[in-house]
Amino acid sequence: MSRFLKIGVSLAALAISTATGALADDVLKIGFAGGFTGYLAPYDQPTLQGIELAVDEINNAGGIDGKLKIEVITRDMRSEIAQSAVMAQELIDQGINVMLAPCDVDPAVAAGQIAQGAGIPTIAPCASTPTLPGIVGDYMFANYTADNLQGTALADFAIQQGYKNALILISKDTPYTEKLPGYFAKVFEAKGGKLADAVEFKMGQQDFSAEVTKIKQLNPAPDVIMTAAYEPDFPAFIKQLRSAGIATPVLGSDGIDSPTTLALGEIAEGVVFANAGFPSAGSPLAKFNDAFKAHFGQESSTVYTATGYDVIKIVEAAVKATGGKTDGASLREAIDNLENVPVATGTITYKGMNRVPLRVVALNRIVGGQKTHVADVTPNGADVPPAE
Amino acid sequence: MDFLVQQFVNALALGGTYALLGLGLAVVFSVLGLINFAHGELMTLTGYGIFYALFLGLPFPVALLIGVTLATVSAMLMERIAFRPVRNSSPTTMLLTSFAVSTILHILFQNLISARPKAIPIPDALAGAVTIGTLQIGAIQLISIVVTALSLLGLTLFLKRSMLGIAMRAAAEDFNVTRLMGVNANMVISTAFAISGLLAGVAGILWLFQRGSVDPLMGFLPVLKAFIAVVLGGLGSLSGAVVGGFLLGFIEIALRAYLPDDALAYRDAISLTLVIAVLFFYPQGLVPRRESVR
Repeated sequence: MSRFLKIGVSLAALAISTATGALADDVLKIGFAGGFTGYLAPYDQPTLQGIELAVDEINNAGGIDGKLKIEVITRDMRSEIAQSAVMAQELIDQGINVMLAPCDVDPAVAAGQIAQGAGIPTIAPCASTPTLPGIVGDYMFANYTADNLQGTALADFAIQQGYKNALILISKDTPYTEKLPGYFAKVFEAKGGKLADAVEFKMGQQDFSAEVTKIKQLNPAPDVIMTAAYEPDFPAFIKQLRSAGIATPVLGSDGIDSPTTLALGEIAEGVVFANAGFPSAGSPLAKFNDAFKAHFGQESSTVYTATGYDVIKIVEAAVKATGGKTDGASLREAIDNLENVPVATGTITYKGMNRVPLRVVALNRIVGGQKTHVADVTPNGADVPPAE
Repeated sequence: MDFLVQQFVNALALGGTYALLGLGLAVVFSVLGLINFAHGELMTLTGYGIFYALFLGLPFPVALLIGVTLATVSAMLMERIAFRPVRNSSPTTMLLTSFAVSTILHILFQNLISARPKAIPIPDALAGAVTIGTLQIGAIQLISIVVTALSLLGLTLFLKRSMLGIAMRAAAEDFNVTRLMGVNANMVISTAFAISGLLAGVAGILWLFQRGSVDPLMGFLPVLKAFIAVVLGGLGSLSGAVVGGFLLGFIEIALRAYLPDDALAYRDAISLTLVIAVLFFYPQGLVPRRESVR
């Protein structure tokens, strides 16, 4: 081969490799702008552990499809919205193929908008506000159980139990603590229930005596109390509720899926809450928990490790679906059409879901300080209230 | 009527916790002119102390004791390590130092212990309630009220009767003259921090009884409330901090109990507006610090 031909061939190879992006170095770059310090750390740190585990497993098997290895680049956005956008830009400058956004909707929007402009698909591992993908655009995907899905599952359960009169405890401080009980109330009323009252609290207020005294005054008393409050508000609320002698059943959301709730003892007995999955023997989640323990030497303390793992499995499935293409447009298209991807918490479907995944919602009941499985439910799509 | 009395008891319990916190800030401010924004981290340390003591299998009362001791010792260490080197600098320097201490502790808790909350199981006995007539007082509320009263009594006795207490009150009025009287400045300041740590520890326990878990950012909100209480009562005035704490508790409970539902979202704005209104008429706070004539 002549020298010129050689140069020509290598130039052509270079052109091809540039066209297919990172495939050239046989590595898929995933950037995670997470809140590893600050108020998001309790969610983004475990998410990162799950991501690490998934990436390790895939890379040890030779990469996606045995050839494309994954590299994760992390940036701490310090739980600040402005930093979220800055870190997102830094990651894009590093040439990432996929962006992972922080665990709260506002900073996730900030990171997502930067990636949307750059044509890079973004997945939010655990932000659960269903409007998130719609706000940002067609490159933004949610991963976690959406609030309206969870609210519907809990309302279905409340109706099944024969509750007629529900009280919701909300806080307008976050969309999660305000809208999730709102979705619950909508479905509950649509199916014949009645909303007794919506009592408001301020996150971090610790003292719920005024609210509890209000609830006690209600006539007729509610059959059930539903809330999306989580630590430290939920323990404080239920303690003061029970010590005021109110034995009304309480329904909670995935925010209370925490060792603290289980350590509440007698007070939390019978509380039913929804989350992303229950580790029944032999289930993918149980297997994930074992793998997590083997890898990190400690139990997974929250389901956010599993949902972090899920995100990488989604990316893996998308790359496989494109036949190894890693440019933004192909990946976006592939994620949008994924169906029944097996992940740690069950399966995930994006096809026809407007970038908010269809997942199973697990219902758990606390019995004797342990989580017990009530049911896995997939709410009827027609019952799920539209995202607002 | 029942509703009113019940809410009054609620306000007493909440205000008591604020009073303890405010007092912790005020004790240090009175001798050093520093609002210690790392005060909340002393509460968090109490929580971790209790968590690890229980983890080691120690009985609950011993764990509480360890928690409070840890907060007291940490407060003294905080003074020795962070604040003593900048003691004679401008108040701004000291204020920023306290923010730095607070941030460093946050990050250490998040990265060395855990970003996730750690559960502290509270004995079921504390979940009950005492019924007096038609009034129901939660065990934890009752404990809050009693502990606050005892702490205030103990502190008053210490400040009025003991040599060190008298020296601290003198230092609060005029530190330089007090030093001229032969009082050891380090001793006074160290004691002030020890007392603030003790109060933070006690308030931290009351807080933990309600929430049942400790997390790295747990001290952030309480210290803000304590700061409001201290400003309301009069910066540097110990009795003012107590009055401010109770007043803030009453304002908050009253708003939460009586505001119409539509206005509830604004209750923090309303309560802070009330605080500003009070300061408008009493710019030095409700119980201003006595200034010595110079």
